[in-house]
Amino acid sequence: MKTYLLASLAILLACCSIGTAFAADSDADVEMLVFPDSYTASSVSNGGTISGVVKFEGDMPEMKMLEITKDQAICGATEKYDEALVVGEGNALKNTIVYLIDISQGKDFDKATKLEMDQKGCQFTPHVQIVPVGVRLTMLNSDKVNHNVHIFSSINKPVNKQQTKNRRRMPLAAVKKAEGPVSVKCDIHGWMSAWIAYVPHPYFAVTNEKGEFTLEDVPAGTYKLGYWHEACGSNSESPVSITVEAGGTVTQDFALKLK
Amino acid sequence: MRNKNVVSLLILVLGTLGILALTHAQNAPEASEKGKEVYEQSCAHCHGTEGRGDGAAAENLLPQPRDFTRGLYKIRSTESGELPTDQDLFDIITEGMPGSSMPGWETALSANERWEVVAYIKTFHSGFKEREAPPREISLEGKIPFSEESVEIGKGLYTELGCVECHGNVGRGDGTSAPTLTDAWNFQTWPANLTQGWTYRGGSDTEDIFKRFIGGIAGSPMPAFEGDSFLHFGLTSEESKRLTELENMDEMTEADEEASNQFYEKMDEAVNIALNRVEGVELSAAEQQLYDNAMKVVYEKSWHLANYVKSLMPEERPEPAIGNNVLRSQYIQGELPTIDDAAWETSEARYFPLVGQIVVEPRQFNPTIDAVNVKSFYNDTEVVFLFIWDDRTYTTGDETDETTGKPLEDALAVQFPVKVPQGPTAPKPYFLGGGRLPVYLWHWKASAPEQVTELTAKGINAAEVQEVQADLQVKSTYTDGQYKLWVKRALKTEDKKDLQLESGVFVPIAFSAWDGSNGDIDTKRTITSWYTFVLEPVPSSRRFIYPPLIAILSFGLLVGLRAAVQRRNSVS
Ligand code: HEC
Ligand code: HEC
Repeated sequence: MKTYLLASLAILLACCSIGTAFAADSDADVEMLVFPDSYTASSVSNGGTISGVVKFEGDMPEMKMLEITKDQAICGATEKYDEALVVGEGNALKNTIVYLIDISQGKDFDKATKLEMDQKGCQFTPHVQIVPVGVRLTMLNSDKVNHNVHIFSSINKPVNKQQTKNRRRMPLAAVKKAEGPVSVKCDIHGWMSAWIAYVPHPYFAVTNEKGEFTLEDVPAGTYKLGYWHEACGSNSESPVSITVEAGGTVTQDFALKLK
Repeated sequence: MRNKNVVSLLILVLGTLGILALTHAQNAPEASEKGKEVYEQSCAHCHGTEGRGDGAAAENLLPQPRDFTRGLYKIRSTESGELPTDQDLFDIITEGMPGSSMPGWETALSANERWEVVAYIKTFHSGFKEREAPPREISLEGKIPFSEESVEIGKGLYTELGCVECHGNVGRGDGTSAPTLTDAWNFQTWPANLTQGWTYRGGSDTEDIFKRFIGGIAGSPMPAFEGDSFLHFGLTSEESKRLTELENMDEMTEADEEASNQFYEKMDEAVNIALNRVEGVELSAAEQQLYDNAMKVVYEKSWHLANYVKSLMPEERPEPAIGNNVLRSQYIQGELPTIDDAAWETSEARYFPLVGQIVVEPRQFNPTIDAVNVKSFYNDTEVVFLFIWDDRTYTTGDETDETTGKPLEDALAVQFPVKVPQGPTAPKPYFLGGGRLPVYLWHWKASAPEQVTELTAKGINAAEVQEVQADLQVKSTYTDGQYKLWVKRALKTEDKKDLQLESGVFVPIAFSAWDGSNGDIDTKRTITSWYTFVLEPVPSSRRFIYPPLIAILSFGLLVGLRAAVQRRNSVS
């Protein structure tokens, strides 16, 4: 038993010591989307459209290749790059969320779209997924390996659920509150990373490879237009003001720098 | 263990209140000044006054003291995504969390004080106040008793569900995903070594294990294995078998196609009901029935899995190798066993627990190696040792330490005195600046797996390679998260700096171990206290027994450590 006593002594000692600090990557504070206090869905006729292109400004950083540490046959078949910053031709910035911050009335969600996020080649697709509050997201497993779907929600209940290699489709319970974007990880394959935004209204878009986004059926009016990007941050402190006319189209481009 | 507590608590409650609320766990009182006081006095230096886990003592600790503001609790009897019950919090505060620096407060705080502090820590996270319904608890009904058959089924599930990814083939925490895991605060973390029940945070009773993998361990990478994580959720065992057959067919007839589609629909329905339930939708009686039937299959499997995990560990933490458990090398005539000889199975290993070295810089506050287990035989001319220890990763120096530039690798050192102290009053061998006599050392490194270097050391940082290296025979293996090191040496050597061995004499022995992947290097390592071993005299020869020596050595170490603490405190 003496040795156990010793162990507790060791711990005691540890407590009163002022040693070296840890070098954990501090969880760089993730900026959040801003949601309206309330939202009422109704039919929108003759709404306007907001569209534009998001570009990356600054020296093009080198793509970070991911280190594949296991299940090489499936995960390492092709080279994989960190999708935190994907810049395409003409500096087009992919995976930027562009959205209306202060809309309180507008169209309903398009109930027909299937909400799916795939795990394929040990990478999540899409990298940024918009999920309406109250709707189930289905996780797909196109790999014949085990994954665990770890969603770091804090307003909603956090999720960490094993999706075994034989489970093609795993629907997840719908959440009740708007939140995000929250980080999604697979701990089994530590490099896998994605984002989910749980949103209360349908005026959210994610830019494609060309950096393009479109928000349709926006009731005429003046709104705050926000963006969010994993590596470039957000403009929720100073959003763009934008006026939409009935049936009209407005263009708003963005140029984002690394935060 | 946990049960015992619940019982004593119930007795207390019954005794004081005389209420017959046998089936209900207790709830904490409203948060009060008293709870705050207890917290600030006993918990805040680790968990921080605001509950952010950033108290003054937190810096060196891994896992870090819990940040209560995020509402992530590891040890719960509640389902995945739920907060713990008050009883869960009370129990963990009472018992502490083995394998971490979280102490148990059973004796230091009264039950009342513990309930008050439960109420107080709940105020750090708004989720407790906001929750509308009581948390859903994991049902422990229908426990399947431990049996070999059950363990066998559980073993299959361990692979099927993918526990093996993190916990490794035989549960030593050495799965292929183990080296890259981080917790919710981005600190590195390791999967539990399932063969060491005493290092489990939340107890290693079968019920504890069952709750841990069904509910998951929030804040850690360990996922929850809820109903639909299991293969063919919603089907009976027979249906599941049939579907597997169908899925394995090369070609399906239309009827087969039809049959398998029906199974898929049935599974979808069950999953749908399970999700409705989580989302708070009221279930109809028929749905509830369907859900219960589906869960019955899952719970049966889960008990088998829990029985399998339970089968991986000894019933209790082994006793350290002192007193009756002292290491006795067995005499055999003729050849000594080789590393993979079946003869090793005939002798029980002795257990030498390791602790982090924290007296001299650099220190190891977060040790990853639990103990060295040792077996030994000798004959008329030689002695052989088998050293066995668990290490989750095989590290041979591919990476280097940032401060020293030296390669990080796994290693083991075995220490003996150069001369055996004669009798209990003799000066003790050198230990961390305490003793006076030099130490004779065997140093083995993973990068040179068939070599042991002999050293003479006069201080923890003052070891010299001996000029004359004795003829040591060495073999080692690393399999499934476990090292085996086999060392054979002549009982007597010509070298004056070597230890000479004689039957019947109690010889001090101590160990240091390095886990390269945990940043162990130089004095940043794990150590044992001094123990003794003896070449068990051949029956009929004279016996010398020095049990007091062992006691004195261990005591000496404690005094030494205490003195070191005092020294350091008076400096700062
Ligand atoms: C020596 C530092 C230390 C002290 C003092 C301490 N704790 Fe902890 N506590 C920890 C650490 C470290 C953890 C995290 C362990 C882990 O995550 O495995 C922890 C975790 C916890 C947890 C989380 C349990 C779970 O299920 O996840 C609770 C609750 C807790 N402590 C309560 C308390 C209370 C109440 C006190 C005071 C009476 C206290 N602690 C004092 C270090 C400490
Ligand atoms: C993604 C990796 C991962 C997978 C998969 C996984 N575990 Fe774990 N497990 C962990 C980690 C990490 C810990 C340590 C948690 C802590 O204390 O912080 C752990 C801890 C445990 C513990 C100890 C609990 C305690 O009280 O300390 C048990 C038992 C356990 N796991 C069982 C299982 C079983 C059974 C499975 C499969 C059904 C499984 N684990 C799958 C990562 C995993």
